[in-house]
Amino acid sequence: MAVAASSMHALAMNTDHPAADFSDTPWWLSLIKAVLLFVILLLNTLLVIWFERRVIGRMQQRPGPNRAGPFGLLQTLADGVKLALKEDVTPKNADKLMFIAAPIIAGAMAFVAFAIIPLSGSVWMFGHHTPLQLTDTPVAVLLVLAVAGVGVYGIVLAGWSSGSTYPLLGGLRSSAQVISYEIAMGLALVAVFLYAGSMSTSQIVLAQKGIWYCIPAFFSFIVYIITMVGETNRLPFDLAEGEGELTGGFHTEYSSLKFAMFFLGEYVNMFTVSALATTLFLGGWQAPPGIAAIGGGMFNGGWWGLLWFFIKLWLFMFFFVWLRGSLPRVRYDQFMRLGWKVLIPTTLVWVVAVAFIRAAQLGFLGDSKAWGGIPRATLIVIAVIAVIVLAIAWVWDTKQARKDNEVTAPPDEVNPFAGGHPVPPLPGQRLVEPVPAIAAAPAARSSVDNHSEEPRG
Amino acid sequence: MTHLGGAESTLFWFAAPLSVLGALTLLFARKAVHAAMGMAMTMILLGIFYITEQAEFLGIIQIFVYSGAVMMLFLFVVMLVGVDSSDSLVETIRGQRVAGLLFGLALLALTISGVARTTFPSFIGLDKANASGNVSGLANLIFGKYVWSFEVTSALLITAAVGAMLLAHRERLRPKLSQADWSRRRIREGVNVAGLPVPGVYARHNAVDTPALLPDGSISELSVSRVLKARGQVVNTQTLTAATEEFEESTGDSTQEEGGQQ
Amino acid sequence: MAADSFVQAHIDYGAVAPMLIVFGTAMVGILVEAFVPRASRFWVQLPLAIAGMVVSLVVLVTISRGHEVITAGGAVVIDAPALMLQGTVLVLSIIALLAMAEPLGTRSPDAFTQSGASVPGSPAEANAVRLGATSTEIFPLTMFAVGGMMLFPSASNLLVVFIALEVLSLPLYILTGLARRRRLLSQEASMKYFLLGAFSSAFFIFGAALIYGFAGSLDFDAINKAIGTNGGMDGLLAPGVLLVAVGLLFKAGAVPFHSWTPDVYQGAPTPVSGFMAACTKVAAFGALLRIFYVAFESLRWTWQPVLAIVALLTMVIGAVLSVVQTDIKRLLAYSSITHAGFVLVGLIALNTVGISGTLFYLAAYGFSIIAAFALVALVRSGGTEATHLSQWAGLGKTNPLLAGTFSFLLLAFAGIPLTSGFVAKFAIFSAAVGHGATWLAVVGMAMSAVTAFVYVKVIVLMYFSEPAEGTAVVTPSALTGISVAVGTVLTLLLGIIPAPLFEMTQHSTLFLR
Repeated sequence: MAVAASSMHALAMNTDHPAADFSDTPWWLSLIKAVLLFVILLLNTLLVIWFERRVIGRMQQRPGPNRAGPFGLLQTLADGVKLALKEDVTPKNADKLMFIAAPIIAGAMAFVAFAIIPLSGSVWMFGHHTPLQLTDTPVAVLLVLAVAGVGVYGIVLAGWSSGSTYPLLGGLRSSAQVISYEIAMGLALVAVFLYAGSMSTSQIVLAQKGIWYCIPAFFSFIVYIITMVGETNRLPFDLAEGEGELTGGFHTEYSSLKFAMFFLGEYVNMFTVSALATTLFLGGWQAPPGIAAIGGGMFNGGWWGLLWFFIKLWLFMFFFVWLRGSLPRVRYDQFMRLGWKVLIPTTLVWVVAVAFIRAAQLGFLGDSKAWGGIPRATLIVIAVIAVIVLAIAWVWDTKQARKDNEVTAPPDEVNPFAGGHPVPPLPGQRLVEPVPAIAAAPAARSSVDNHSEEPRG
Repeated sequence: MTHLGGAESTLFWFAAPLSVLGALTLLFARKAVHAAMGMAMTMILLGIFYITEQAEFLGIIQIFVYSGAVMMLFLFVVMLVGVDSSDSLVETIRGQRVAGLLFGLALLALTISGVARTTFPSFIGLDKANASGNVSGLANLIFGKYVWSFEVTSALLITAAVGAMLLAHRERLRPKLSQADWSRRRIREGVNVAGLPVPGVYARHNAVDTPALLPDGSISELSVSRVLKARGQVVNTQTLTAATEEFEESTGDSTQEEGGQQ
Repeated sequence: MAADSFVQAHIDYGAVAPMLIVFGTAMVGILVEAFVPRASRFWVQLPLAIAGMVVSLVVLVTISRGHEVITAGGAVVIDAPALMLQGTVLVLSIIALLAMAEPLGTRSPDAFTQSGASVPGSPAEANAVRLGATSTEIFPLTMFAVGGMMLFPSASNLLVVFIALEVLSLPLYILTGLARRRRLLSQEASMKYFLLGAFSSAFFIFGAALIYGFAGSLDFDAINKAIGTNGGMDGLLAPGVLLVAVGLLFKAGAVPFHSWTPDVYQGAPTPVSGFMAACTKVAAFGALLRIFYVAFESLRWTWQPVLAIVALLTMVIGAVLSVVQTDIKRLLAYSSITHAGFVLVGLIALNTVGISGTLFYLAAYGFSIIAAFALVALVRSGGTEATHLSQWAGLGKTNPLLAGTFSFLLLAFAGIPLTSGFVAKFAIFSAAVGHGATWLAVVGMAMSAVTAFVYVKVIVLMYFSEPAEGTAVVTPSALTGISVAVGTVLTLLLGIIPAPLFEMTQHSTLFLR
C-alpha cells in the first residue's frame, strides 16, 4: 500500500501543472499568437459556413452556393458584407444597454475558450521555442466550461432585453438547454481527468501518447458528442430557434452586425467544442497511431501537429453538418428528458465505474498480476462492472418484453368498412368477407354525411 | 508560474473599481435584471481575482458555479416572474432603511477599525501553498483533513433537493391525459366536440387575444383564454370591425350587401 | 496552508456512529420516498425513523461512551458534554417525532399539508387531498435536522459548526412551511425564518473568516491557543467573536435576535414548533457552550459581560412581551425566549455547576415544551387549530384531561415546586449566585414571577370561564398519547427525583480540547 500511495503522490506531482512550457514565450509572442488564433477562427468560420451549405446541398441533391468565387467560396464573405450593411434596428421596448451588451458577450466569450486549446507541440517561432497554444493552466478544461457558462448570459440577456415574447422564450429555452447539458458534459469530462490525472490540456494530450481516450473512455466520448451538440444549440437540438414555435428564438429582434456577432459566436462555439473533443478524446495534435511511428515520430509534433489537429477538428465539423442534414429537430420535453433522466444518471454511474477501474490500474486495490502482466484487480473490477451492466440490461429487457406482450396483437381479420371509411388491412391481416356493396353503402354514406354536416368554427 | 507583479496590481486597480461598481449596481439598480447582472459581474471579477492570486481552481469554480449556474437561475426566476421596479419600493416599516444604513455603517466601521489595528504577520507565500499543485493541494485538504465537512455537506444538498421538490414540484397523481384521451372525453361529454373555437381573424388583426365572432355578430367567449380575460387583455372587436366597415364605406367595396344578411 | 502530500484523516467510527446512523436513516428514508408505494409510505417511514433514532441512542450509550476522542481530522469531538447533548437531542427528537407523525386516522401526518407545492385553497390542493397525496418526506427531513443537531454541539471546528448549523436549519425552514392549516401564515413564517436564518449564517461565516484571519486555523483548540499568543491581531478577534455569537444566539432565540421566534412558532405546524423549541435550543446552546468554553475560553472575561447583558435582555423582553399575547402559540414562543434567557444565565456562570445546570435545564424544558405543543395541536375550532386564547376558555370543563395536563406543564414553565421547571431554575440561579451574578438571579426570579402571572392567567381562563363556542378537542392516536405522557411524566419525575439526571449532567461537564 505504501508503494501505491507514493505512486499516487508522484502522479499528482507530475501532472498537475501544464506540460506546455511557456518560459521562452515573451509577451509580444503571446500577442501574435492571440491575433493569429483570432484570424484562424474567423477564416475557419467563413469556410465552414460555405462547407456546411455545400455539403448539405450535396446531401439534398442540389449544388449549394457556387456563384461567388471559385466553387462559391466567397459566398460567405459576400453574405457577411451584406449583413454588415443592413440597417441596425433596435426595438422600441428594448433595454438598450443589455441589448447592445448581449451580442458582445456572446461573441467575445466564444473566442476566449480557444486560448487553452493546444494546436500543436512546441515549435520555433521568431527565434523562440514556444508551444502552439496561447496559454494553459492546471484547470484549463474547466475554464472552457466556465467561459461557456458566462457566454450563456449573452443568450439570456438577448432574449430578455429584446422586450418581446419570442426572444424571451427562446433565450430561456436555450440557456436552460446549455446549463442542463453542461452538467452531463462536465461529468463526461471527469472520466478523462481520471485517466489523465490532470485538467491541463497539454498534459491530457501528452497522456494520450499510448491510446486515445475515445477508447478507454468511450462512454464519455459518446456523451460528450451528444452534449456538445446540445451545448451549441445545433440541430437536432436547436430548439431555441425552432421556427415553427419561436420564430428565430433569442435573436429574433437582432439585425445587422449585432446579429452577425451571434452568428459568429455560434460557429466559433462549434469550433471550440470540436477542438476540445479533439484534445480530450482524439489525442489532440498527435498523429494517428500508424503515422506517429514513422521515422521516430518525425510527423508527430512540431508544425505537423497543426495538420493532424485540423483534420480531426474538421471531422467533427463534418459530423455537425451531417447531423443537420439528416436529423429532424427533437421536441423540447424529449430533449430535456434525455439530458436529465438519461445522460446525467448514466454518466454519473460511468464516472464511478471509471474511478474503480483507475483505482485498480494504479494498484490501490492490490498489486497482484494475472496472465500477461494485467493487474488482477483491474480484471476483477471490469468483470464486476460487466456483470452489473448485464444484470441491469437483463432486468430492463424482461420488463420491456413484458410490456410488449401486454400490447394486444391486432385481430387476424378486419372489416374494412367497420368505421364507415374503407381502411386498408395491416400486414398479415385478412379482410373479412366483403359485405354486398349495396347493403353496406347506406351505412357508410350516412356516416360520411354526418361528418360533413358538422358545424365548422 | 511566474509572478505577475506589476501586471497583477494593474489588473487589480482595473478590476477592483469595476467589481465595486457591480456591487453598487446590485443595490441601486431600478431593474431587477440590471441588479442581477451587476452581481454577476462582481462574481466574475472575484473569480478573476482568485485566479490572479494563483487559486486557479477556486477562481474557475467561482465563475463556473456562481456566475454560470446560480446567477443564471436567479436571472431565470427574475425574468419569468417579471419583477419590475414598481414592486418593492414601498417601505412597510418606517425608518428601516435609515436603520439598516446605520447598522451597515456601524458594521463597516467595526470591521475596518479591527482590520486597521491589526499588524499582519509575514505571509507564507503562494508558492509554498501551491507546492503540490493548486488542484492537488486542494484535493489533499478536502479529502484529508476536511473530509468530514465535505461528506456532511451531502446531507445539505439532499435536503435542498428534497425541499425544492416538496415546495415546488406538484406530484402527478393521475396519468396525464393524451390528445386521444381529451378527444374521447369531448365526444363522451358531447360538449365542444370539435374543440374550442379558435380566436378571430380580422383584416388587420390575428392573435390569441382577439375573440371570434359568432354568426349573430356577438363575441364567442370560448375563443379566448380565460387568463387573458381575467387580466383584461382581450381586444375589443368593435374597433376592429368598425375600422373595416369604415374602410369599406369609403371605398364602396362592401361585401356586406353581397353576402346579404349577417 | 496546503498539505504537500495526502494525509488521510482518521475517523473513530465508534465515536461518530450515532450521527452516521441518523444520517443513514435519513438517506434510506429518501429512498423509501422514491420506491415505496404512496399508500404504505407512512407506516414504513415512521417506524424507520423511530428505529434509526433508537438504535442511534443505544449505540451512543453502549459504544460511543467508550470513545471519547477528537476525531475526523479535528472536525468532531466526542466528549462527555457532547454525548450528553447528543443523547438529549435523540430522546427529545423521538418524542417530538411521535407527536409530529400523529395521523388522526389517515395515512399522512395530520399537521402537514398533503401538497406543499399547490397554492393554498386551490383546486389542485383539494385534488391532492382527495387522491391521497402524502408528505411523508418530513420524516427524512426531520432525520437530517436531528443529525445536524447532533453534530452542532460536537463540532470542534468553526467550519463544521457552520455546516452543522445549515444541516439543522435547512430542514426546519422547509418543515415550517408545510402546515396543513393556515398555510399562508405557515409559508410566510417559513420565508421569514429562511431569510433571517440566512442573514445570521452570513454573520456567522463572516465572523469565522475574521477568526481564521486571526488564528490561522478554524480548530477550536488552535483558536484558543492563538488568543494568548497572537497579540498584534486582536483587531480581528473581537469582531469575529461578536459575529460568531450573533449567528449562534440567533438559533438560540436570544434577544435582540429573537424576532423570528414568535412568527415562526405561530406559523409552523404545531408539533414542529415543539420540536424546534426543544431540540434546536439543545443544539444551539450546546454549540454555544463548546465555542465559548473551548475556543474562546481565554477571552472569558471579555465575553461574559456581553452575554450577561444579552441574558438580561432576553429574560426581560421575553417575559414582558408574553404578558400581552393573545395567541397560545405566540405565548409559548415568548415563553421560550424567556427560557433561553434563563439558560444563558447558566451558560455564563463559567463553572461546572453552570454547565450541569444548563444541560439539565435544556433537557427538562425540552420534555415539557414538546408535550405542550403536542397538546395545542389537539384543540380545534371550525376545522383549524384553535390557537386564540379566547377559544381556550372553559376547556377545563369540556376536557379536563387536556386542560389538567396543560396546566401542569404551564406550572412547570413557571417553575412551581414538584415540577422539573423548579429544579432546573434552582440549578441555574444557584450557579449564578455562586459566581457572583446575584443581580442576574434576582432579575431571573422577578421574570419568573411575571411569566407565572401569564401562565396562571391561561389556567384561570381554562377553568373559570364559560366554554367557548365551537372549540373541540380531537382524540389523538397512541403516538401523541405516548409523546404527551412521556413529556408530562418526565416533567413530574424530574421535579420529584431529579438526582439521576443531575448526576449525569454533573459528570458531563468536562470538555475535551
